[in-house]
Amino acid sequence: MSDKPIQGEKRVFMTGNEVVAYAALAARAEIMYGYPITPQNEIMHYWTRMAPKYNREFLQTEDELSAGFTTLGGVLAGKKAFTATAGPGNTLMQEPLSMAEAMRLPSVVVVQQRGGPSTATVIYSQQEVTLTTLGGNGEGLRVVYSTSTHQELFDYTIKAFNTAWKYKFPTFVLGDGYQAKMRESLTMYDPGEKGIELIPAEAYLGKPGTPGVDRPPAHYRNTYNVEEELYEVLQGHFKDYEKMAPEVTEYESFGVEDSTLVVVSHGVVARAAKEAVRELREAGVKVGYFRPITLRPLPEKQLREAAARAGRFLVMESAQGQLGRLLKEAIFGAPVEMIPFYKPGVGITSEEVVDKVKATI
Amino acid sequence: MEAYIGEYASGKSEVAVNRAVLLAREGHRVALVDLDIVEPCYTLRPIKKQLMEQGIDVLAWETRETSGLGETGNIMRPANRWALRRPGDVILDIGYGVEGSRTLNLLEGSADDPDLKILAVVNISRPMTARLEDIVEYIGQLGRVDGLINNTHLGDETTAEVVQKGAQMLGRSAELLGLPVVATTAVEDVAERIGPRDCMGNQVWAIRRYMLHTLW
Repeated sequence: MSDKPIQGEKRVFMTGNEVVAYAALAARAEIMYGYPITPQNEIMHYWTRMAPKYNREFLQTEDELSAGFTTLGGVLAGKKAFTATAGPGNTLMQEPLSMAEAMRLPSVVVVQQRGGPSTATVIYSQQEVTLTTLGGNGEGLRVVYSTSTHQELFDYTIKAFNTAWKYKFPTFVLGDGYQAKMRESLTMYDPGEKGIELIPAEAYLGKPGTPGVDRPPAHYRNTYNVEEELYEVLQGHFKDYEKMAPEVTEYESFGVEDSTLVVVSHGVVARAAKEAVRELREAGVKVGYFRPITLRPLPEKQLREAAARAGRFLVMESAQGQLGRLLKEAIFGAPVEMIPFYKPGVGITSEEVVDKVKATI
Repeated sequence: MEAYIGEYASGKSEVAVNRAVLLAREGHRVALVDLDIVEPCYTLRPIKKQLMEQGIDVLAWETRETSGLGETGNIMRPANRWALRRPGDVILDIGYGVEGSRTLNLLEGSADDPDLKILAVVNISRPMTARLEDIVEYIGQLGRVDGLINNTHLGDETTAEVVQKGAQMLGRSAELLGLPVVATTAVEDVAERIGPRDCMGNQVWAIRRYMLHTLW
């Protein structure tokens, strides 16, 4: 049986959830731990259909707390492990993932956002931004990629494994219910054939040699006796995070240089914003487009520059200001007016973007 | 009476809706039945009104008839259970792959209805059904199948070549399975380029994309 699920490059027509399952296979993930929740179910369904064919494993746990912790157990044992969830499941995942921050365990979580608060709708939202970027008992020491197309779901799921294993911070791929269920075409590929080197996983425990003599002891802690001890460890984490930030930060923008208004959005909403801004610019309207791809860390420098240049941000999102809040923190003090366009739990079309820009400019 | 089954996102609903529209236009009395019991609120509901206006009797849940079913509403709409006893043409849209195909057992008369044809919809651009051996294995899991529909496409990027490749692959699969290929589908402009028959001699059904306007 072939070890490579994807040979060569292939144009295919898929749903977003399937894309994630295939990307995890392509990234040589070895095991998925999971608990069903809509709209991410088909990630599990497709993973479990393919796992036996490609010698991979799956464990269904009793809830998302357990799915998160078993994922970390797999990582400690040296497996490339991942999980996927949504909404209330993401809430439960925050506890294990904050342990991953504390113990610096690489881990990949794919989130397909659904409506909130609580169980709300199973369909769609961008209301898990605050939770995914800053959730848990801690300091938000994680990387969050917000995808916008099926191609990106494939590319960034593969990338998430490398980011997690390189920097040893939990890494999230933040999709949503629309991306999960939507069907569109993309090119699938084997990362190796594209020159992407996959970082191998190694066991955290049971390494050869005598601990403290041949190697440092494998002492991974999420609990400390005194405040100072914790403080010192955290300083190291912050330093690592700061060093990593410019290396992982990604964004996409155009038309910012000559505009007095910039539409800022992320994820699937950025598709509508991009199309609308392109259309408006072709019609001679001076409007710009900015989309952070990493919501944590945010491209602060570029956001500040765009803010200073344009003076006005039109912030569009399917949440009541969750991206807005992150932006305000990132560009605090910049001379920019923030104009909100918030539709929590509901999609935003390019026509709405065009109308809002015209009414604002 | 035609039941459309097949791999998740293979295009079952799109083909079923187009069949219903075509038959209605030809003056037939048509009932279109949504038998997705995994996600019963999401398949045909958003375009139900539009289809009713074209004279099709759409048997699908409506929001006001349900009580917070969401994705967990595995309750079959009572009228749907008796759909095969309706007069006129009946088109069944059966959701969700292999598990979904078992929904058919819940329909009164499905085991012995002499007019019922169960057609499996296949798009070879879907990675799970891209290779000959995968298609043969997958169709084998579906239970009773009376024929195959080549619904190979790449969304907006579909060309005649993409569709014809699907026709060739389905032809070989059908031979191994001992089943007929009933038709090849293609959106109207691509269908026009292919002509009334595809490269394997199957009839071509020109379709329109109605499902773009649905939720999922």
